[in-house]
Amino acid sequence: MSLSVLFTVALTEQDILQRLMSQRDRVSAAAWLVVRNAHTAEDIFQNVALKAMSKRTQFESDGALMSWAFITARREGIDWLRRQKNAPICLDDTILELLEHEWVDEAAAQGGIRGQALRDCLEELPTTSRDLLKRRYFDGHACEEVAAQLGAGLDAVYKRLSRLHQSLRICIETKLAQPAG
Amino acid sequence: MTSNEDQNELLLRYLDGSLDPSDQAMVADLLRGDAGARAFLRGVAEQAVVVADVERIDQHKPQPAKVATPEFHPWKWAAAAAAALVFLAAFVIAGIPPGHVAKVSAVLGPCQYIAADGKVQNEVKVGSVLNIGDTIRTRSSSAWVKLDLSGGSLMTIAGRTQLRLLNVNGRRGFQLAYGNLWATVAESVGAKTFSIQTPTSTVEAKSAQFDIEAHSTMSIVRVNSGLANVERLADGQTVDIAADHQSIVPISRNREFAVMRQPKPVNNWNCHLLAGPGAVMGNWLPADEKNSVRLGAKPLLIGKKATIHVANFSVQCSGSPAVLIENGSKVRVTGNTQTENPIYLGLTTQRIKGGFFGKYIAKVEAEALGQAGEPWQVEVPLSKFEPKTEHLPDLPIGMELTDIWVFSPEENAKLEIHRVEFLPKEVGQ
Repeated sequence: MSLSVLFTVALTEQDILQRLMSQRDRVSAAAWLVVRNAHTAEDIFQNVALKAMSKRTQFESDGALMSWAFITARREGIDWLRRQKNAPICLDDTILELLEHEWVDEAAAQGGIRGQALRDCLEELPTTSRDLLKRRYFDGHACEEVAAQLGAGLDAVYKRLSRLHQSLRICIETKLAQPAG
Repeated sequence: MTSNEDQNELLLRYLDGSLDPSDQAMVADLLRGDAGARAFLRGVAEQAVVVADVERIDQHKPQPAKVATPEFHPWKWAAAAAAALVFLAAFVIAGIPPGHVAKVSAVLGPCQYIAADGKVQNEVKVGSVLNIGDTIRTRSSSAWVKLDLSGGSLMTIAGRTQLRLLNVNGRRGFQLAYGNLWATVAESVGAKTFSIQTPTSTVEAKSAQFDIEAHSTMSIVRVNSGLANVERLADGQTVDIAADHQSIVPISRNREFAVMRQPKPVNNWNCHLLAGPGAVMGNWLPADEKNSVRLGAKPLLIGKKATIHVANFSVQCSGSPAVLIENGSKVRVTGNTQTENPIYLGLTTQRIKGGFFGKYIAKVEAEALGQAGEPWQVEVPLSKFEPKTEHLPDLPIGMELTDIWVFSPEENAKLEIHRVEFLPKEVGQ
């Protein structure tokens, strides 16, 4: 039996912060799925990071830390929803848990490189595509408002967004498949 | 269209909140059974937060100056004439008093809403919309209100603060009569410059994150990102405050009005009651044989038939650099009370170079204060403070201290404060 099985070493504050920052996009994304507002999701991630730092419980592995971070982000998101009028309907807990497990597995396999690949792919997008994403996710407009702003049909906006998300996904996979350097 | 595309569009409609309950149930079934659909949804969520992150960073990058070369073609005359007409129409429209609104997105503690027509409501609810002329007041040290100003712009007022929406030509106008305000002004298409009037200054910003502490004789403006222009009302002198800089705007034109870099944070603070204007709420009492400095708590009506007695001490007003809250920090207060009742200590916190964070409070039991009428000194470790909202982490470690407040609900306690300190963790702790 190896020593690592006999003794579990708790993550230090620095380890915790480093791990959380490397998974910032995933934890924020999990919060976004609940609140559907990128600025609130960012706030929730910051709160999760602070809670992790000031928590008395120790994390014995990256997996334990990440599971706790996703659950805390979800709870914070649900709390935020409760305080809102006309809040979006939240996905069922069982579905959110499924998504979070997949994120934890992906984080263990890929670390934080996916986020950089996504940023590189966004850089390569044409201005009109960046503008569409900005209106929808940074300005926080619903697709109907975006359609009105652009003088386009609602169906056309959904179609363009759907294809944009798909093309970004393919771009990320391509970049991740390329050998480093 | 492939079935995958149909599926992806359905998920986007779901995220947009535009599906009816039967379609929502279909989405739930799809997500439970289809790993591909879940992968798409996770991808959309990641892309949404990263798009916002990239835009945030882009908006804070300095914009290179654009040099336009004059070039004119005859066919452009027609376009120019049309543009002139549009401009003229826009000018006429701009002459009509512009409307801007603020929506309450979060609220805590006693607040009051005074409509432009004078109607008063002693309760402010999330979702309430403030129009031009409306006023919102947070009525106790522990209260705060967050306002959504659309287009990604936000404001938080906290403590004892009064904010009114103004009609300022071509700008989104506000009057901060007194108190603390944190603002994030996001630059978006067609957005107007924010103009905030305090008793001593006018602060204007188009894209910036900043905070203002306003009093009757001075205002303190700190800019954490972007740029703000500040005018001193006493003489019309203006300065530009860039990121990481601050300015104190006194009411007197004989006092210095300059921009300085924000000093590096420290981990301890002594309010120095006699030396500076750090005590921002309270009544000065005459010296007695034991204490040369005595600040009496001031009564504050926080609701119907509810009065507390408060003394408030501001880090910024005391002239101190920002104070960083660490694990193991302590608050030490020296004072006197005439009855054996508990007192309460509160901390207002904000993010380092960022917006409002939250309020924390600790109860000091009567036993810890000793015999009534005798001076006491209490040291309260950070771990004894509790967040005022569930949303906050247990402790504000890593945050910046905005102010410390001490209050008693009992008038007969005659709470008075002689000294307030924020102490760093002890070596070896």
